[in-house]
Amino acid sequence: MQSTLLATINAFGGRLFRRPPSGSARRARLPGGLTVTAGIILAASCLVALAGSLLMPYDPMEQMLLDTNQGISAAHWLGTDNLGRDVLSRLIFGTRISLLAGTGGLLFALILGGGLGLLASALGGVFEYLAYGFIDLLRTMPGILLALTLVVSLGSGFLSVTFALGLVFAPVFARIARAVYQREMSSEYFTYSLINGASRLWILRRHVLPNVLGAFVTQAGIILPRCIVTESVLSFLGVGMSPETPTWGRMIAVSSRYLEQNPVSVIAPVLALSLLTLSIAVLSNNLRRNTDVLRRNAAEA
Amino acid sequence: MQLLTAILLSALRTAGLVVSITVLVFFLVRVIPGDVVDLLSAEGGLDAAMQEEMRQELGLQQSRPAQLGNWAANAVHGDFGDSLRFHKPVGGMVCQALPTTIILSSLSFAYGLFLGCAVAVLAVLWPKSFFPKAVETLNAWSVAMPTFCAGLLGILVVVLWLEWMPMLGNMFLAVVVLGTDVAGQIAKPLYEDLKETATSKFIMTAKAKGLGKTRVILFHLLPNSLSVILALSGIILGGLVGGTITLEVLFGLPGIGKLALDGVLGRDYPLVQAVILLLAVAVVCINWFTDIIAKLIDPRLRSH
Repeated sequence: MQSTLLATINAFGGRLFRRPPSGSARRARLPGGLTVTAGIILAASCLVALAGSLLMPYDPMEQMLLDTNQGISAAHWLGTDNLGRDVLSRLIFGTRISLLAGTGGLLFALILGGGLGLLASALGGVFEYLAYGFIDLLRTMPGILLALTLVVSLGSGFLSVTFALGLVFAPVFARIARAVYQREMSSEYFTYSLINGASRLWILRRHVLPNVLGAFVTQAGIILPRCIVTESVLSFLGVGMSPETPTWGRMIAVSSRYLEQNPVSVIAPVLALSLLTLSIAVLSNNLRRNTDVLRRNAAEA
Repeated sequence: MQLLTAILLSALRTAGLVVSITVLVFFLVRVIPGDVVDLLSAEGGLDAAMQEEMRQELGLQQSRPAQLGNWAANAVHGDFGDSLRFHKPVGGMVCQALPTTIILSSLSFAYGLFLGCAVAVLAVLWPKSFFPKAVETLNAWSVAMPTFCAGLLGILVVVLWLEWMPMLGNMFLAVVVLGTDVAGQIAKPLYEDLKETATSKFIMTAKAKGLGKTRVILFHLLPNSLSVILALSGIILGGLVGGTITLEVLFGLPGIGKLALDGVLGRDYPLVQAVILLLAVAVVCINWFTDIIAKLIDPRLRSH
């Protein structure tokens, strides 16, 4: 029983539980304090986003006009904003928006950029030229301005923000797709598959896709924080979600006018934003270091 | 000769990109629901006849391809039309806003480039000092602290608590905030590249010749990483072109970014078109220049 359990654990977390080979300097690498902290923050954010309405002490939209711009108190842990809305409740609601819009934008960028990039590389010819022309077009527009114009054209709201984020970050994945495809194309098994009569699309699915997924996951860890930040910037500029939605960017924009009287209602969303993005960045950095087998072995040798 | 052909080809491609962006933006801003007349009448109460007359006057009743033709014909002559809201030539408005943005972005870039390179080089020079930590900290700061947040914290501490300087039009604080962000983006990749190059054989040779550590780093290691610095600079400058917008809004600096935001929000089509055309040309030129310089300083790149 116990051995089955150990075998299962080993299968998933192999490196953590395996004994180091005797006489070798290799050791199981335990996650450091920073990584654990980052993991806890990210997990807590996800939990808060999921259980949002259970944790909110007040309705985030409810205005209590007698208690505007209050500091920290027992009734309002993070005070209230200029319309007397509870900052903690709005912060909790904003967590959900940030995570949803960030991951949504990331997924869209991954599917559009990665998918288009791979398909275009496999099909080649005019299609490749047009697809990468389009990608270059997106890349040449200054990101924030492109997102801004798109969101205003499509109307503010969750879907258009996600769409705009996806378009802004799609080129990153398209370029990776192309680089990996070209690398694989020059490998011998690719040539042999072609000689065997396999179609390029089949090779794409069977051989290139497994190779590109790792690179995509690594890049996704870098892009996710940037998606979250870009969403906040859009909301800060007043063109993101619909104006009544409590997002972190919106909270910062509104409260920044009362910075002197009520710094807490600005500092709270700023801290939340930077802690969330930092923890995602730390985790993805760690993932990259641990999955990059070549470099890891070089470092341990 | 080969280099020349490559440069000409990329110039052609670049021109094509700029034209496509212009057309794309032209239609994109016109998809925005409601035009400037709708907005003005919602604000000021124009009746139907006045609205019609205004659209006639502004040329908004024409078909979109016709509007594009008119606009392009004038733009080629350097006339980007009048702002629909401010009734001033757009070209003049852009020229007025341009110095602010150029000063802001070039000062922040220069400061950030210097800080980033200095910290990365010092971290390689003295690996046991606090500089490697500083590289990580700078990088974490630029990942996790968006410039508008950093700007707000700066205002809170420097302007409101310490009362050292005023908030509006505060170029100094904006440059510090933006430049530190730039430094964080440069320091980490440069440091990694320097560390990796430090293990290569020509560095070993230089050390074996008995050259001093500082000499090896400055004259052997750093030149090898020039192409990394250049590539990073291209990306960062391209990002700065649009990235000054939040700081301009925050510090009340009358620059291009502020102009673009006002244009988009106010459905001021000629203004948005002119600004985005300008910025796209800037980005394209930056990419083009970095490409050429990269080929000039690194012969290995020329064959591609």
